[in-house]
Amino acid sequence: MAQDEKDPVATWPARENLKVLNHDLVRVDARAKVTGAARYTHDVRVPGMAYARLLLAPLPALKIKKLDLAPALKIPGVLGAVALETDRTRWLGEPIAAVAATTPERAEDGLRAILLEYEREPWAIDEAQATAPNAPKVRSNAPKVSTDGDQASAERACEGAAAVIEATYTVPVQHHVCLETHGVVVDYKGGDEATVWCSTQSTFGFTPDAAKELGLKASRVTGLVEYMGGGFGAKFGLGLEGQAACKLSKEIKRPVHLMMTRRDEFLAAGNRTGGKMRIKLAASQDGTLVGMVADRRRFGGIGNGSMAKFPYIYAVENAYSETLSVPMNLDSNRAMRAPGHPQAGFGMESALDELAYKLGVDPLEMRKRNLKDKVYHRQLERVAREIGWYEHPHRDKPGDPKAEKCIGIGFGVAVWGGGGGGGTECEVRIERDGSVSAAVGTQDLGTGSRTYVAAITAEELGLRLEDVTAHIGSTRLPSATGSGGSTTTGSLAPAVKVAAFNAARAFAARLAPVFGVDAARVQFAGGEVRDTQGAKPALSWKQACAMLPAEGLSARGEWTKDANKRLAASGIHGAQAARVEVDTQTGRVRVLDMIAMQDCGLPLNRLAVVSQVNGGMVQALSYALHEERNVDAALGVMLNSTMEGYKIAGSLEMPRMVTIIDDEDERGVIGVAEATCIPGHSAIANAVFNACGARVRDLPLTPDKVLFALGKVV
Amino acid sequence: MKAFILSNPKSVKDALQLLAVARDSKQAKAIQPLAGGQDLLTEMKEHLAEPDRLVNLKGIAELDYLRNLDGKVQIGALATLARMEKNNLLNEHARVLFEAAHSIASPQIRSVGTIGGNLNQRPRCLYYRLEEANCLKKGGKECFAYSGMNRYNAILGGGPSYIVHPSDLAPALIALDATVFIAGRTGPREMPLESYYKLPSVGDVRTETVREPDELLLSVSFQLPAPGTRSTYLKFKERESYDFALASVALVLGFDGDVIRHARLVLGGVAPVPWRVRAAEAALVGQKADTQTAEKAAELALAGAVPLSGNAFKIPLTKSLIVRAIRSLA
Amino acid sequence: MRTLSLKVNGDTVQAAAPSHWTLLEVLRYKLGLTGSKQGCDKGDCGACTVLVDGRPVLACLTLAGAVEEREVTTIEGLMPLHVKSGGDGPDPVQAAFDRCGALQCGFCQPGMMLSARALLNKNPCPTRAEIREALSGNLCRCTGYTQIFEAVELAVAESIGVAPAPRSWEAQRMDPSEAQAAAKRAAAHLAERRKQEGRE
Repeated sequence: MAQDEKDPVATWPARENLKVLNHDLVRVDARAKVTGAARYTHDVRVPGMAYARLLLAPLPALKIKKLDLAPALKIPGVLGAVALETDRTRWLGEPIAAVAATTPERAEDGLRAILLEYEREPWAIDEAQATAPNAPKVRSNAPKVSTDGDQASAERACEGAAAVIEATYTVPVQHHVCLETHGVVVDYKGGDEATVWCSTQSTFGFTPDAAKELGLKASRVTGLVEYMGGGFGAKFGLGLEGQAACKLSKEIKRPVHLMMTRRDEFLAAGNRTGGKMRIKLAASQDGTLVGMVADRRRFGGIGNGSMAKFPYIYAVENAYSETLSVPMNLDSNRAMRAPGHPQAGFGMESALDELAYKLGVDPLEMRKRNLKDKVYHRQLERVAREIGWYEHPHRDKPGDPKAEKCIGIGFGVAVWGGGGGGGTECEVRIERDGSVSAAVGTQDLGTGSRTYVAAITAEELGLRLEDVTAHIGSTRLPSATGSGGSTTTGSLAPAVKVAAFNAARAFAARLAPVFGVDAARVQFAGGEVRDTQGAKPALSWKQACAMLPAEGLSARGEWTKDANKRLAASGIHGAQAARVEVDTQTGRVRVLDMIAMQDCGLPLNRLAVVSQVNGGMVQALSYALHEERNVDAALGVMLNSTMEGYKIAGSLEMPRMVTIIDDEDERGVIGVAEATCIPGHSAIANAVFNACGARVRDLPLTPDKVLFALGKVV
Repeated sequence: MKAFILSNPKSVKDALQLLAVARDSKQAKAIQPLAGGQDLLTEMKEHLAEPDRLVNLKGIAELDYLRNLDGKVQIGALATLARMEKNNLLNEHARVLFEAAHSIASPQIRSVGTIGGNLNQRPRCLYYRLEEANCLKKGGKECFAYSGMNRYNAILGGGPSYIVHPSDLAPALIALDATVFIAGRTGPREMPLESYYKLPSVGDVRTETVREPDELLLSVSFQLPAPGTRSTYLKFKERESYDFALASVALVLGFDGDVIRHARLVLGGVAPVPWRVRAAEAALVGQKADTQTAEKAAELALAGAVPLSGNAFKIPLTKSLIVRAIRSLA
Repeated sequence: MRTLSLKVNGDTVQAAAPSHWTLLEVLRYKLGLTGSKQGCDKGDCGACTVLVDGRPVLACLTLAGAVEEREVTTIEGLMPLHVKSGGDGPDPVQAAFDRCGALQCGFCQPGMMLSARALLNKNPCPTRAEIREALSGNLCRCTGYTQIFEAVELAVAESIGVAPAPRSWEAQRMDPSEAQAAAKRAAAHLAERRKQEGRE
């Protein structure tokens, strides 16, 4: 920091000077996690605790005639039961009642004893039912078509174009499949105080609702999220399950543990919107996109669904789209990692790809031609080089499907904001014994936020990562926003940085007289404190801290627009390439390689960024090849509400994965999670076409569809 | 899971004595033998099975063996899949079984799962496994897969139920001409494993085998294939990591030079029973294992296939697997 | 209800439980050993994997009453058992998971590490293919598995005292020819070791 600067402000040092950040950091909580000591909500045990289970609506639409909880209460071990819905249910899996008992299995016995009598009401749980002439009214407020762009000019542009394709693309409903299901532990025994653990993406998001449900003051309820087993967008708020647990706890005056079962999770814990896109896309001879007309349907259950706007990422001179939600009697969609983007991306990337081959234009060149932002160009070129595109024998036409095994390459790109916002505050404390802590109530979904809270503080104070303890996951700590939309890093990192900076300044001011210089000349580096220009010997960190009073020193920092400008940014890109092998005899698609290049501003922990990008790629691979919710519309049931029937990619599905962090991006920090799962499945589908000419427009690309596209199934 | 009493007999005799009450049809479902439990416990968790008593066979040492007795391989009901997938004898002389054992489920399940349990496992049909769907297999009136989602269901031998038999060991063992040894209150009986399975159109549609509720599968045996025999098990899964077969091929070919003298071809994942195709076997004998022969056998094997609305793809898929399996043994 | 006598992580412990309780239920709801996770409770996810007599087993599909005389190892026992057998600190698998960033939310990791431990117990020098195979019953939703494979490989390399192949994220920062050479060296060491073990 310059000596003459009057009011110094927190900034990141030049990257080459960073000692902790932008390195491969071992997570500060890794030891707790690998030894099994990390306590997730599912693992919380408090004395006298009851275990609860939910009774879910067995069919999509019911008129409840009778709900008798008394038989449940007769089951030995059952401590209480509450009704959650006594009139009508509007979606398959809607919670109707909850039972608490001395053990989880007693609670389940209780559930099964509940007497539920109902009349079926007409339902719609697939597109055919929902759009039939006599379709039941799923919601009182029928969704309206929304339009974007000018239809006449878009149609005109398509008519006169050199090449046009018109096709329908569909994407399935995807589930989050967090390994830890949703749930809470409500530690309340009557009285005016409670503690609530929740497997959530927002420490401060569920606590006020829990207080309300318990009839307590929010200030008397502590919310805790010590460790949580994955969220991906599905875990915000107290939820119906949390409300049920609070009701039960209030009723029986005992702590209640309510974790959803895996089946509950599939039926009533959210999902990614499914959809259908009819797309007409037109280009001029050189591959410039000139017109686009799209008709889109969103399948978000009783929710609205989400689908990013068209044209997606690529520029199209004249574009028009109509979008309509088609409500169904199924659980509402929730945010899921880049909500709406993987769906829109699949339509856009597939249509563009089809057009490229139709025109005989290299699909990589076609992409670059229609991407104005040059960052995409460098990223696409890099992943193309890494995956061997320039040596690939057939770039502007597919491989020969007569071969038994065909190899193909495909591409996709991403876009996301990832910027932060206000509402996060951090306190950094320096103790007289030299220990340091950074405290902020935020949550760590597995992204590594706990680690970078410590890392940013260590960097600022010239310490090692292990010298700083991060305290997170409690409403007793300074406020923090929820983790959605990759906003955590952009919100949290500046607050921590400013707090650490303020602590360093305050400490420097105290130490300045020791060195007999201005505070601005006091520097913290390498575990020492020294005068940057003087001859006095440096103090060790411990020696310096010993000069503090008993209460140590603390300083706060918060996210501000000003700090954000200096420390964070928003708007990221990302390009991915996939190389696949298609077995033309069996329809099997094997992904051999996936390469991602991802910008993310300043990487706080490179190892965590790589893991994040790899994880995003695999979720996209899984979406491409395996995942889909299956319902039987006539019976009104979900058929694959298990991890056997609902398949997610396992270790044998993994391709060689390479994640390249785009270090040319010199901006401040930006959240990275969402962008990473946007392009992969499109790249894979396009690679399948490049391999053998099978264009599968309906995810997932299961063997039956690939064989059909190859003309092998009559 | 419903509470039950766990009995731990130490001998087959004691186990059979416990199971004898199942002879009474009212008691048939109230008592069940438990081996590795990797299927039964999931059925119980889903309330598809709710026995009052489980007869835990794991303590019966006399059922846990895998041995070669003068060229006859004998495998006790409690031999684990992990043991079979590591067994040198099978690796060298009965690859079809060795590979089938390895293809099953996950390493964890193979640690515990037994040959007896694998041969007696219940269907994976999504409707069968869903408690709310009271399908034919559970005593209901309708096979919902017939008009519903049937991508995973039968293309051969279906009706009135369209499940596929999920066992991988069964096709492999049938291809080895294995015999199964079962015992019950009325005494022991032995039969070709092929006859152990029955189509849904025969007898009680709710069961897949001829085993009576009071009977136990005790062992399986087969003659070590003659020198010059080669075999393989080719399993195609939708997901490589832990999945059941969309289609599988168990193939045993005995060669004289490069001419096939003996052939067994049994399909898995496509019919309610392990599906042996004699016409294809006959077409292989006397021929070389070349592409032309293989394609002809594949055509014959699938000649009677009648796909449902969503599983016609299994026909070309299975044909391709048959051709590959035959070619791989050439 | 019956009092079970179980051998867990080297200790004999008593737990009163009904006969239909699984090992997972006894561990989590009676013994306070919550490191074994309940992810699906139906044998599909592998998060509850424990070792029984050294073999990987799904605790959710194991009746507690059926493993009374057997040695059960849970994630909580991995480090103590390693120390007991003369090791220092965490089991090499745990240490490697630490350092390779092989975890995010961490919920699948206990099961994943026990599957890896079971593999290394019988095959101290596995190939990547063998590692993938051994972990194929453990599902992870966060990491993309790659760093998990690399962690197991690191544990292997360190336990036999050779330099590991550069991890994917390290290789990128190296000169390509240097990275290739390092990977080759590591592969040669492993191949030699496997030969000694009679695996190839």
